Amino acid sequence: MNEMIFEAKDLSRSFTVGRSALRNLANRFLGERTPTVLRAVDNVSLTLREGETLGVVGESGCGKSTLARMIAGILPVSSGERHFRGEPYDSLLARKRDALKIQMVFQDPLSSLNPRLRVGEIVGEAAVLHGLVPRSRVKDYVVDILARVGLPADSISRYPHQFSGGQRQRVGIARSLAVKPDMLICDEAVAALDVSVQAQIINLLMDIKRESGLAMIFISHDLGVIRHLCDRVAVMYLGRVVELAETEQLFATPTHPYTRMLLDGMPKISLERRKFMPIQGEIPSPLNPPSGCHFHPRCPIATEHCRRTRPELREIASGHVHACLNVEAL
Amino acid sequence: MSRVSLNDFARRFAESRTAVISLMISLVFVACALFAPLMSPTNPYDLTQLQLTDALKPAGSKRMLPGEEVRANIRIEAGTASVEPALAAQTRQSITAESCGASCLSIGVQPEGTKLASLQIRNLPAGAAVEGGKKHIVQPWWTVDNPEGSKVRIVSNSPLPENFTVLAIAKSLDQETDFVFRLGTDGFGRDMLSAILYGIRISVFVGLVAAGAAMVLGTSFGLLAAWRGGVTDAVIMRAVDFMLGLPALLVGLAILAILGNGVSKVVLAIVIVQWSYYARTARSFAISELGKEYVEAARCLRLSPTRIMLRHVLPNCMPQIIVLFTLNIAAAISLESSLSFLGVGLPLTRPSLGMLIASGYEFIFSHKYWISIYPGVVLLVMIVAMNLLGDRLRDLNNPRLDR
Repeated sequence: MNEMIFEAKDLSRSFTVGRSALRNLANRFLGERTPTVLRAVDNVSLTLREGETLGVVGESGCGKSTLARMIAGILPVSSGERHFRGEPYDSLLARKRDALKIQMVFQDPLSSLNPRLRVGEIVGEAAVLHGLVPRSRVKDYVVDILARVGLPADSISRYPHQFSGGQRQRVGIARSLAVKPDMLICDEAVAALDVSVQAQIINLLMDIKRESGLAMIFISHDLGVIRHLCDRVAVMYLGRVVELAETEQLFATPTHPYTRMLLDGMPKISLERRKFMPIQGEIPSPLNPPSGCHFHPRCPIATEHCRRTRPELREIASGHVHACLNVEAL
Repeated sequence: MSRVSLNDFARRFAESRTAVISLMISLVFVACALFAPLMSPTNPYDLTQLQLTDALKPAGSKRMLPGEEVRANIRIEAGTASVEPALAAQTRQSITAESCGASCLSIGVQPEGTKLASLQIRNLPAGAAVEGGKKHIVQPWWTVDNPEGSKVRIVSNSPLPENFTVLAIAKSLDQETDFVFRLGTDGFGRDMLSAILYGIRISVFVGLVAAGAAMVLGTSFGLLAAWRGGVTDAVIMRAVDFMLGLPALLVGLAILAILGNGVSKVVLAIVIVQWSYYARTARSFAISELGKEYVEAARCLRLSPTRIMLRHVLPNCMPQIIVLFTLNIAAAISLESSLSFLGVGLPLTRPSLGMLIASGYEFIFSHKYWISIYPGVVLLVMIVAMNLLGDRLRDLNNPRLDR
């Protein structure tokens, strides 16, 4: 088994809603009112090995992107620990050049590129500033990186708005690769693209992974993409991980009711008639999550016990954990 | 901005004819400001050129050279006349004398064509008289008023003595020159055209420098507030609210009342009044830019906060700030003019447009309208043009009006 590259223990992130200096002052004098707290990510623990790809899947609003930003080190955690190759993030982020080893690819290919900078500068800026490449050779360096992601050399003097969506995402990937990362977090990196372009970008990511042995965290709501790309998959619901297993095992024998319903909703090519069972109800507001198991209002097998008790992650097979009180075994 | 979008921007700008005309007028004013010393017929700051005889002349009148008095002793020795000036002062005119026969001496003034108010000859020898002249009641002085051809003749029944000396005093009339005051003169005899050109120079200079300094200061505060948030944000934005709550003219008056007048103090007063507009705009746009993914990407690339703010966020806020700058130049010019009109702005010796309007205000009821009206019209056109220009730029930046 490979070395561990990243470890997260009990990561949480909560946002206080409607907080202001004035309200803080009012609270001090008029007595504390409990502020509304949004728990975007709630006690998530993850591990990633060198060269491995971990998929994180879930509905919109389940905290995937918040988790991605905490792992990338651009959002502070409310509680929990993050370690990169055994080193806590606090000391890692202080050394900027080492912190570059963790990079991120963003969802929106247009807004993630600065519209006022040319591609050459978008890609080359950080490498020059952190001394990875001398300023005199940055042009060749950027051209090399652009070639790796399949962009022509003359892209270097163009602006983001002159590219198509797929090309912009290639620029975004080139920007991450330019600082020689060891771990790449892709936050819905293909969600905004056409299906045909999605396939190109996914192939590009797989090529890069094969060439350089990057460890990747791939965040998506698209189960097909996750299945294609990932070694292991974590399923999130309302800020919590509800199931985590090897990709093969998860897609073959999902155990958590939420995972099962997600997989049932996946389009399949087959001739037999299938009964389509959509997940009942809306995703609850994270401002006021259901008690006990967050999934119980929509769960077909929920009991009174689920309403009261918060389920912990339990191992039900080797490398397969889930958080359900009712499903005991495979 | 790329070449393509710049061309596109220019094309969309040119769709409004008003905006194009405003731009041209604004450019003319900037040219006036830059080249005022070359364009203006006189230097209105040179107080030695001013003469009160030119004061309050209407448009189209000519500059007058004041008349002067020339004195010279004319000595006749053995029938030949020699002239020596009796006063040390430099004069434009000089007295000439020539003999016109044994009993005749002609005294005139150079250059030819000088109109004389009077020519007086003193100490004539006995028996001699001046043709057409009146003798003083007591003294032996002969005076000719408005002598024809600026010449008089001393004549005598008997031949004039061999040697004698007379004193000639010529008083010339005011003399017209070729110089025309195209827009008239003010109460000090200053050419209004020159004063207006130099006034534009001062107004545009004060407007640009003050609005520019306010832009730099206000934008820095706005970016700081957006970046730091929390207490810093609250303190800066409350200061902005405070400044926006006070009338600009009143604040300007108060500041100049404390500091005294002068160009740099007016600029300072305008900066203090205007920085808050930039701070508020820069903060709001910076906050919206900070929420975009390219800023997160920059943080993920571990760039320093200063670099992210200045290199990534600021350029994306600049279009809106430039629009505000254009509008605020006009506001700064108008504020400076108002302050000068109220007499706390610029000194009288270096008049801005507002000061010119103020100095003509006392004459406006005696039909000396040109002193106030012409600078007023120029100021009006300048401010309207710059406002229209700024409005067009703002419209182009407003995505809601985008088709």
